[in-house]
Amino acid sequence: MTARRRVAITGIGLVTPAGLDAASTWARVKAAKGCGGPITLFDASGFSTRIAAEVKGFDSLPPIDDRKLLKYASRAHRFALAAADQAIVDAGIRPTQQDAARWGCVVGAGMMTIAHPEIAAIQKAAAPDGDFQANGILQEPVAQDVMAFSRSLSTAGISLLLRRFGIRGYASSVHTACASGGQAVGTALRLIRRGVADRVLTGGFDSMISPVGLSGFCLLSAVSPDNDNPERASRPFDLTRNGFLLGEGAGFLVLEEWNSAVQRGATIYAELAGDGNSLSSYRITDSHPSGDGPIQAMRRAITDAGAEQSDIDYLNAHGTSTPMNDRSECAAVNVVFEGRAKEVGVSSTKSVMGHLIAAAGAVEAGICALAIRDGLMPPNANLQQLDPDCDVNIVRDAPRSARIGMALSNSLGFGGSNSCLAFRNPEETAALIAAGR
Amino acid sequence: MSRIVITGNSAICAAGLDPAAIVDTLTAGRSMVGPIAGWDAEKWPNSQAAEVPDYNGGKLLGDRKLLKLVRRSDVFGIYAGTQAIEQAGLPAHTQALDAASAAEYADQTGCYVGSGGGAFEVNYDFFPLMAESGDSLATFGTELPNTVNPMWLLRSLPNNVLCHVSIRNQLKGPNGCITNHTTSGILSVIESAWALREGDAQRVVAIAHDAPIEPQTLLYLDQVGLVSKDVLRPFDARHDGCVLGEGAAALVLETEASANERGATILGEYLGGGDASEGEGIFCIRDDGDGLSRAIDLALIDAGLKPSDVGMIVAHGNGTEQSDASETAALLRVFGKDMPPVTTNKWSIGHLFASSGLVDIAIGLEAGRRGVVPGVATLDQLAPSCAELNVTKQNRETRTDIVLVLCRGFAGTNAAVLLRAVR
Repeated sequence: MTARRRVAITGIGLVTPAGLDAASTWARVKAAKGCGGPITLFDASGFSTRIAAEVKGFDSLPPIDDRKLLKYASRAHRFALAAADQAIVDAGIRPTQQDAARWGCVVGAGMMTIAHPEIAAIQKAAAPDGDFQANGILQEPVAQDVMAFSRSLSTAGISLLLRRFGIRGYASSVHTACASGGQAVGTALRLIRRGVADRVLTGGFDSMISPVGLSGFCLLSAVSPDNDNPERASRPFDLTRNGFLLGEGAGFLVLEEWNSAVQRGATIYAELAGDGNSLSSYRITDSHPSGDGPIQAMRRAITDAGAEQSDIDYLNAHGTSTPMNDRSECAAVNVVFEGRAKEVGVSSTKSVMGHLIAAAGAVEAGICALAIRDGLMPPNANLQQLDPDCDVNIVRDAPRSARIGMALSNSLGFGGSNSCLAFRNPEETAALIAAGR
Repeated sequence: MSRIVITGNSAICAAGLDPAAIVDTLTAGRSMVGPIAGWDAEKWPNSQAAEVPDYNGGKLLGDRKLLKLVRRSDVFGIYAGTQAIEQAGLPAHTQALDAASAAEYADQTGCYVGSGGGAFEVNYDFFPLMAESGDSLATFGTELPNTVNPMWLLRSLPNNVLCHVSIRNQLKGPNGCITNHTTSGILSVIESAWALREGDAQRVVAIAHDAPIEPQTLLYLDQVGLVSKDVLRPFDARHDGCVLGEGAAALVLETEASANERGATILGEYLGGGDASEGEGIFCIRDDGDGLSRAIDLALIDAGLKPSDVGMIVAHGNGTEQSDASETAALLRVFGKDMPPVTTNKWSIGHLFASSGLVDIAIGLEAGRRGVVPGVATLDQLAPSCAELNVTKQNRETRTDIVLVLCRGFAGTNAAVLLRAVR
């Protein structure tokens, strides 16, 4: 049997509340400066939670420079196009006529629907008293608007990416709520291993900072109501945490078969070494307090990477800042790392930029790759009083300088899907290859 | 590589509650398309669809409490998943295991779901609140908890079927929820098979579900020019678009060892799959069938088969001029003059979008087991662009036990799967 194909991360693109590209996002994550603020995208003054982490100062036209294409793009799709463009430029390679069929694309797509003004137009036309009457939409222009329809389709985002970059191979969009981005990147890794693709553009995008989007989380009391203190609203692992901070944005990676990346002299951030997936099969919104579910995902990612738990130096936690998630995730960490959990640095990127939902796992994969490159574990912002039930080694206050041999990134979703990705320092990968492994 | 066998096969759509009933309907030449009952569509540009008759969500779910937490599309998916799991004999087997063995079994059992539907109807729960608050979003915010069900978000999750089927059956292995419009269902089968090949699971449940017959979807699709005035006539000179359908299907796929351990009846075998995109835009497809022919080639290579091995083809056949013509071009490119008998199902059961590929697999497997290629009853005269397609109005015999299933979707996505039907 021939050796398994390895996968290199050679391009990173990020559009997040922390910055409009990878460099500025990484700088703010290292500075542990929270991105929460009052919602400006709509009048949220009546909501129980009136804060979010918005992407500020974003203009998709300069990077994309294609007005016709952008007409088909929602806010989240624009983030995706810009982040994907950055990743492709960063990698220094793009599909050509000759190899387009060997490029794949896998994305974690945010929840799909039409924009709020369009929903409002449908309501006025067909449900003026609240009760939907189908015939009411027959004369309503929004209900005839092909552009509005195309932006609402589950394949709207991937369609724009395939066209923009001329990708002709395997194409898939996935949605497992907060695990979407992690599962998309994991699937992309597998496409290259299987030989189905040689290069994959992969990532996630989302924007739920809209009246209906925010409503869903307010109704579940899942978001922090700390309207007077938005910068500290997201405080994973803190005893006083009371919900997550809703974010938005996109993260994209270019993945390449290892040898071809080395041969073309690409800069390799890290090896994407393992993908672990599991189902909690417990409750729709929670993992079991024991960590059952996330435990299997982390163990599978480590095994899939051909590693041992003792190889892991850093964990980018899901760390949403909800009471249940952080406790269950920490229980899982203590089970997986047995007696050495204290040797693993843990932090949550959501402490800075909030929860990017379907984009979170992909953005955090990019953060892990940057952490390995710089030998720097990013800090967990806003932690003042550690919850004794979160008994793990949190990277507090400032970044921690430490060579990272391997890192993990968790993404745990509503609905019970758990994703864990494993990353390896490229020096370690080179040593393994030299040793014939 | 060890064989991947199929031990559960279920489907629900307008033509029946299981694959056998659906194939009976198709081979009898019966179309299930009729006037839409879901709303008064008399004045609509299109008023026909293939709805599941006598829909009773509580009965299909076997759990009235759960009905409040899921949508119509999810009901079909949970129903199909449950049927396939029971047919495969998984519950009876796991109930007899001790706790440690049951936990291990759960970890080795995965689930991949192709999900669609509901992108518009989920918003309608907000209409009473919006009517009350007028243009004031401030009032919308303050009145929200008094008006909208607190569990609204959970009801609208695209991954609901994955969640509820896994909780009900204690599935804890590799998983995914694919939301790639029409190719979602067929991709869920391809990903399931890879999870088995890669040794990440011993058994996987693949499910796909959709319920696109809603007013807004129908009107939009009409604007895009995809909906027929009355009848879905695939490859016919008078083809003028598709008709919407709804439903779900599910397979239990597993390693041969896992199936033999239970003494499960083997219904068929998964042989290979392929996926390719054209990347021309959301509503664009190439005239030469490039993406589809590459997907078929990839599936044949994956399965280690030649075109002449294929015994029947379940085509996408959505009845739009451009899709039918380019599908014919793709099949001619791969099979040339030696084309196996082709059939398609949408003329009777409508276009089920996210679930269409998996419903076509369920039907193809059942038809293949009977050795019959169902005829296409709405076909009278082949369109000039489809003249060389090997498709007929009458039922025929399959050429071999190998079934090729095709699926195409928005964004120029194409997928193909090869199965062996066990007679």
